[in-house]
Amino acid sequence: MSKDETTSSSNSNRRDYGLIIAKRSILLSKTYAIIGCGLAVFAIFLANVSAPLSGLNPGGNGSGGINNLGSTSGNISAFYASSSVVSLIAVPLMVFASLSFSMPVQLLYVYDKNNGVLEYFLSLGMDQADVYKGYLKAALILSSVLLSLEIGLNALVGLFLGANRILLVEISVLALAISLAVVSFVTIAMMAFSSLQKQRTGSNQPLGMGLGVLVVIPAYVLPLLIPSRALFIDLVVALVVVVLALVTFLLSSRLIKREKLLP
Amino acid sequence: MHLLELKNVHSGYDGKEVLHNVNLCISEPSIYVVLGPNGAGKTTLFRTISGIIKPQAGKVLLDGIEVFPSKEIRRKMNYLSHHNALPEEMTVYDALRFYANMEGGNPDEVLDLLKLRDLKNKKISDLSQGQKKKVSIAKVFLREREIYLLDEPTANLDPIVSKEIRDILLELSRDKIVLYSSHNLYEARDVGTYLILIKEGSVALFDRISNIRSSKYRVGIRANTDISKIVDAKVGEGGYYVLSVDTPEEAGLILRDLVNRGVIVTEMRQLDNPLQELFDENGDTSTAT
Repeated sequence: MSKDETTSSSNSNRRDYGLIIAKRSILLSKTYAIIGCGLAVFAIFLANVSAPLSGLNPGGNGSGGINNLGSTSGNISAFYASSSVVSLIAVPLMVFASLSFSMPVQLLYVYDKNNGVLEYFLSLGMDQADVYKGYLKAALILSSVLLSLEIGLNALVGLFLGANRILLVEISVLALAISLAVVSFVTIAMMAFSSLQKQRTGSNQPLGMGLGVLVVIPAYVLPLLIPSRALFIDLVVALVVVVLALVTFLLSSRLIKREKLLP
Repeated sequence: MHLLELKNVHSGYDGKEVLHNVNLCISEPSIYVVLGPNGAGKTTLFRTISGIIKPQAGKVLLDGIEVFPSKEIRRKMNYLSHHNALPEEMTVYDALRFYANMEGGNPDEVLDLLKLRDLKNKKISDLSQGQKKKVSIAKVFLREREIYLLDEPTANLDPIVSKEIRDILLELSRDKIVLYSSHNLYEARDVGTYLILIKEGSVALFDRISNIRSSKYRVGIRANTDISKIVDAKVGEGGYYVLSVDTPEEAGLILRDLVNRGVIVTEMRQLDNPLQELFDENGDTSTAT
């Protein structure tokens, strides 16, 4: 192999580095993946348990979405609003599911750090940003895989049961935006937590899950308290989490110091 | 030929300085043995040279180009940590292929070089410490580089494998610069050409090992008869007759005398290691010119 072909091949394989990390993570720990799948199934169930009801609206054509609140058919609208809220509560559950599915990446990060694998990556010419972005990419790959299945399956089940199509779209978009933002935020935060600790004990997976739950809990609780504003609440939560994720990403090179990647 | 320079390098972790004002200039392909007590800064030296950590002050240069900012320059070095740096959930072959995918190289070639064929399909986590070390060394040889930084490469290896590794390194050092740290002073003396002695974060000595002499010489002799009646020697360590001389030449004269008296000398060796004295606080790090 010529030097140019070798360099090109190495560069190409480094781009797949996130994918390799993702595969290794799943092999390392299947428990979180199983938990994630279980939560996903429950989320799909919750999203669709009120599907036949969410298809109702005063117009009777099943496509009004929650825009029909305040119509003269007060009972049906209120009932519709409640059923939409139940479906929207599936969004944070989908987020928890994809977060759980990505947890093995944090486990692998600590494992690799303690084994000297991260140190070896640095010795190969990688920067610390190259290293931790690979793990971040892996976490996003894993969460995206489960998210795709969740959203796809949810759509299929929802359509079959005659759910409101706009509600299905709302759930899909919210789940996607919030999940990816939460996974990104939690992954970087946990790598930074591991990096900042004086005693290098590594990132703590239950702490990561707890952080993810904390960030999304408003999307779980508030819609139940204020059902008429459920969608608005979810949109605000999505915006806040996306901002959090962007800020931590931009600060990541300061938070995850090079020396802390060493065993 | 490459030129590796450390100019007024200060390096460490979390703002704490471990290496103080290190200056080195290395150009000759050879084995440079890095010795020092625990905590002296050997690993920090290797990490700083390889660009894993940035010097707090000063510069590390390879062929005039600063190492740390340049990924291309850093890729001219191979670094072996005393941690194995192996993905434990993988088999030996998969682990080598994992690294080959990142930096190039042929896993099959290094499997043959380090005689790891039999372990190819074994999981890393199921290997002994010595076997893991061999695999760890194997990954370093996936790609040929210009500088090799090996932190305790023969630790946890049995004597046979240690010798195999030393033979590989000796072959490598014909045209590569090899920096090699070890706690085995006899191995260091046998393998190394140059010595870099690190004490408390500074380079205490940088010289050819052949220039380093003990202040005293103890010689061990095995013979077919009791030579204590002929020379001032007592039975000591390892069943040798041990005698002290001031110079190696005096040992040669004693040997000639014994042979002339009809004594059959079956073995004669120096019992002291001049490198040992470098660790002795009260010892004399004298060098002969």
